Amino acid sequence: MAPVIKTVNLTHLYGEKTLFEVTAIINVSIEIEKGEFVGIIGHTGSGKSTLIQHFNGLLKPNSGKVLLDGKDIWESRESVRSARFKVGLCFQYPEYQLFEETVYKDIAFGPKNMGLGDDEINTRVRRAAGYVGLSGEQLEKSPFDLSGGEKRRAAIAGVMAMEPEVLVLDEPTAGLDPRGRDTVLGLIKEYREQTGSTVILVSHSMDDVARLASKALVLNKSEVAMFGPVDEVFSHGRELMKMGLNVPEVTRIFMGLRDRGLPVSTSVYTCEQGRRELLRLSGEVSP
Amino acid sequence: MIRDITIGQYLPGNSVLHRLDARMKAVLTFFFIIVIFLCKNFWSLGLMIAFTLLFTAISKVPLRMMLKSLKPIFVILIFTAVLNIFYTDGGRELFGFWKLSVTDKGLYTAGFMVIRIICLITGSSLLTYTTTPTLLTDAIERLLSPLKVFKIQVNTLAMMMTLALRFIPTLIEETDRIMNAQKARGADLESGGFIKRAKALIPILIPLFVSAFRRAYELAFAMECRCYRGGEGRTRMKQMKLKARDLGAAFLVAALFCGVFFLNYRFKALI
Repeated sequence: MAPVIKTVNLTHLYGEKTLFEVTAIINVSIEIEKGEFVGIIGHTGSGKSTLIQHFNGLLKPNSGKVLLDGKDIWESRESVRSARFKVGLCFQYPEYQLFEETVYKDIAFGPKNMGLGDDEINTRVRRAAGYVGLSGEQLEKSPFDLSGGEKRRAAIAGVMAMEPEVLVLDEPTAGLDPRGRDTVLGLIKEYREQTGSTVILVSHSMDDVARLASKALVLNKSEVAMFGPVDEVFSHGRELMKMGLNVPEVTRIFMGLRDRGLPVSTSVYTCEQGRRELLRLSGEVSP
Repeated sequence: MIRDITIGQYLPGNSVLHRLDARMKAVLTFFFIIVIFLCKNFWSLGLMIAFTLLFTAISKVPLRMMLKSLKPIFVILIFTAVLNIFYTDGGRELFGFWKLSVTDKGLYTAGFMVIRIICLITGSSLLTYTTTPTLLTDAIERLLSPLKVFKIQVNTLAMMMTLALRFIPTLIEETDRIMNAQKARGADLESGGFIKRAKALIPILIPLFVSAFRRAYELAFAMECRCYRGGEGRTRMKQMKLKARDLGAAFLVAALFCGVFFLNYRFKALI
């Protein structure tokens, strides 16, 4: 089966042929399989946002190709438009895109643009609201009356309601408090489990990527530095640190323990793995 | 793309023109524009063109950028030329058809007007290409400060101008972001008739206004936190001082002034 998203030598420049020409991404060739959960990590300005905007045809590559289900999305006007609905893109601080009178109408904006019937729109809006935990009462409120976290969730629901094959989220937890962060990450996880759709998550938090994603894509200076299963990527801790990136906090703790002479494994990426490793160690050390 | 808008776009550089005192530059640009309209024949206009090219060369602004600033007025140029060709009375008729006739005087006038407008735009773009918006508003504030006599709050006006200029790029970026976000939800901004397109702007304008107000509040708070109490008595970090090169520039423009007067007087007026 063809991968859901495939890019071939994708290159993008901003402000081509002007004084302000900047290379955003160079020669990115990746394949993302159906149902995968990919975490994209990299510095600010490493090209993460540029890359994801190619997935749904918002940006046109200067050279190279983007294939959705094996078909070039820039083949025709219609294929670009269908890419918009196949790949749901949720930008950073999505709450700033809310504009309708009620939350319900705002979530319905996407499905309406798809040309769906009223009944279908209704089902989808309610389903999406369910994923993000918004009550029927909240749906009738003005989006501007919601709290910060609720606004964020309403905006995410607006993308989910299109029921895209691939859901791309650009730092969905930026600027939220710890509880808001956990809620949003939890609902993304649940959404994926319920729909089985492919999810791509751009994040600064190595912990979040380690906890949720199955694969990690590391971008450094406009190029793909690493792409593979999460534990494989994080096992290159030193290289990541050289790029000025990091490994999950718990991995750093175990690397520190190792440096201090404790016989622990450093391939520990989540708290759960850490707990097990410590238990194993204490079983080994104490009689 | 929306990023291509160049209102008062500053091009970083280190030419003499960049380093001139902003006040002097503003005043000289003003005089430069006056001189353009004092030219009465092709000799003085030629001198004008020479000086325009000279200043462009000194500024080291790429010719491509200069042409780009002329692009938006292309239609106006054509319009002016056509009107002048057909609506100028007198002169020798070169050829004519129907009720329209083309005279040599008409052609001259048209050429004259087009060159004037090009000089005008080039001159004023040079000012904005070589001066940062902040410096420019600073300069305008200084130049307008005599108006304080009439109880006009020059400081406040200048601050408003600075802020407005400062937020143009920010709001353009914001518009870009919101447009992308709505396009990602399938908003169709490119097709349909006038009404459909106008309607398609609602999902962009509402978030844009909301965010503009939010930014305004945040900025007001930030300014008050740093004890901004309106203009009176504020001093500045960067003092403006006139230097030798500013006087040099003034002499250059004065020379242009005299040259144009002389050539106007020496040769007969065309229009």
